[in-house]
Amino acid sequence: MSFRVQIDQFVGPLDLMLHLIREQQMSIFDFDIDVLTDQYLAYINEMEDLQLEIESEYLVELATLIEYKSKKLLPKEETILDGEYEADPKERLIQRLLEYQQYKEITEQLSDFYHQRNLQMAKPISMEVDHWIKKDDSTLPIDGNAYDLVKAMYKVLRRMKLSKPIETKFTQKEISVDDRILQLKARLKDLDETFTFETLLEDCNENLHLAIVTFLAVLDLSRLQILTFFVDSNETIWFKRG
Amino acid sequence: MEYKEYKYGIEVTRPLHINTVKKVERKDEYPIDTIVEGLLFIVGDEGLKIEQCAAVMDVTLKGMEEVFSRLMFKYQKEEYAFELVNYGGNYKFLSKSYIHPFASKLFQTTKTNALSQSALETLAIVAYRQPITRVEIEELRGVGCDMMLRKLQARNLIQEMGRSDAPGKPFLYGVTEEFMDSFKLISLDELPELPDFSSDENENLFE
Repeated sequence: MSFRVQIDQFVGPLDLMLHLIREQQMSIFDFDIDVLTDQYLAYINEMEDLQLEIESEYLVELATLIEYKSKKLLPKEETILDGEYEADPKERLIQRLLEYQQYKEITEQLSDFYHQRNLQMAKPISMEVDHWIKKDDSTLPIDGNAYDLVKAMYKVLRRMKLSKPIETKFTQKEISVDDRILQLKARLKDLDETFTFETLLEDCNENLHLAIVTFLAVLDLSRLQILTFFVDSNETIWFKRG
Repeated sequence: MEYKEYKYGIEVTRPLHINTVKKVERKDEYPIDTIVEGLLFIVGDEGLKIEQCAAVMDVTLKGMEEVFSRLMFKYQKEEYAFELVNYGGNYKFLSKSYIHPFASKLFQTTKTNALSQSALETLAIVAYRQPITRVEIEELRGVGCDMMLRKLQARNLIQEMGRSDAPGKPFLYGVTEEFMDSFKLISLDELPELPDFSSDENENLFE
């Protein structure tokens, strides 16, 4: 049987099977799995002869086809079907082919839409306006990332350490992040539109623990977009009510 | 009334329409359709949404919808080189497709952005079955799709839409607004119905 192979014709094993079924004038609902397997194998061999790289997916499906075929050769045990019924592998293949065929078919229509759309063109936004949009963006204090924030926090902590007297009394007041968030929220009303992280630390009284809890609270507040932050070139953390 | 201006050193006299200049101060004296048209011209391929436009013009969504449909109707006429389209809820002006052959002559090219068969198949599956995981797509196509999904993501045709609850929490994929535009769709409901092959079992599909 003469057999012409077109290299880029198939996009996958299911595509190839559909093609072979059609070529043999078989019905998708009732094809001969032996014929299909032989044809499929012949195609794979041909590809090999042409020294084409055969993608592993084709081999996987080949293995499945051969498995179906060999199962057919084994004597079947006549059992009354009760309870668990193992789906006929051929049924499953048919199901897959049908479903694949649906998408393959619809692809042609989508391709048509895509082609039509490609024939129509739009103009980019007017340059002047584009400039406005960018300018608008830069006024929002969303510059900087969490690492900038951590870096700036480190600086704050170091400054705090330096300003600490050498002799000090140490009382630890534990407060949870959630409580601190509530405290900060209450204070926000009295603060300016923008303010520094230092301002928030005013009530910490050099308490490192409280400063850290404040920092965590602030992270949470900016996550909830109650606050937005940015870090300026002096690594001062600025906040703005979101 | 006229005024003088110098252009390339030559004195030019132009009539001055004071009345039309004055009108600018009151926007509501201009037809809303015309203003929206102007906005559409300015935003270009970014497009406008009904909500945006209604807020700017201070009219109801319903009212703005009417404006847009009037404009769409108007530009369908043959005398206009552009048409107003709505893909994915984004309204914008596009040149009509019959202009394209002349444009390609003008620029001496026949190139259009093509999508491969594999890309189209993958897109079709994502569009009809979204949100869908990579494994599910591969099951349907019988082919590995990892690279393809990344390529489509890079072209902004599909996007990650969270993760599935399946083991390993795989990403779920869905189509983007860009996809809607590329395939001329207002919404996903507009996708053509999938052909039904399973109903008529006796028919030989390949004849």
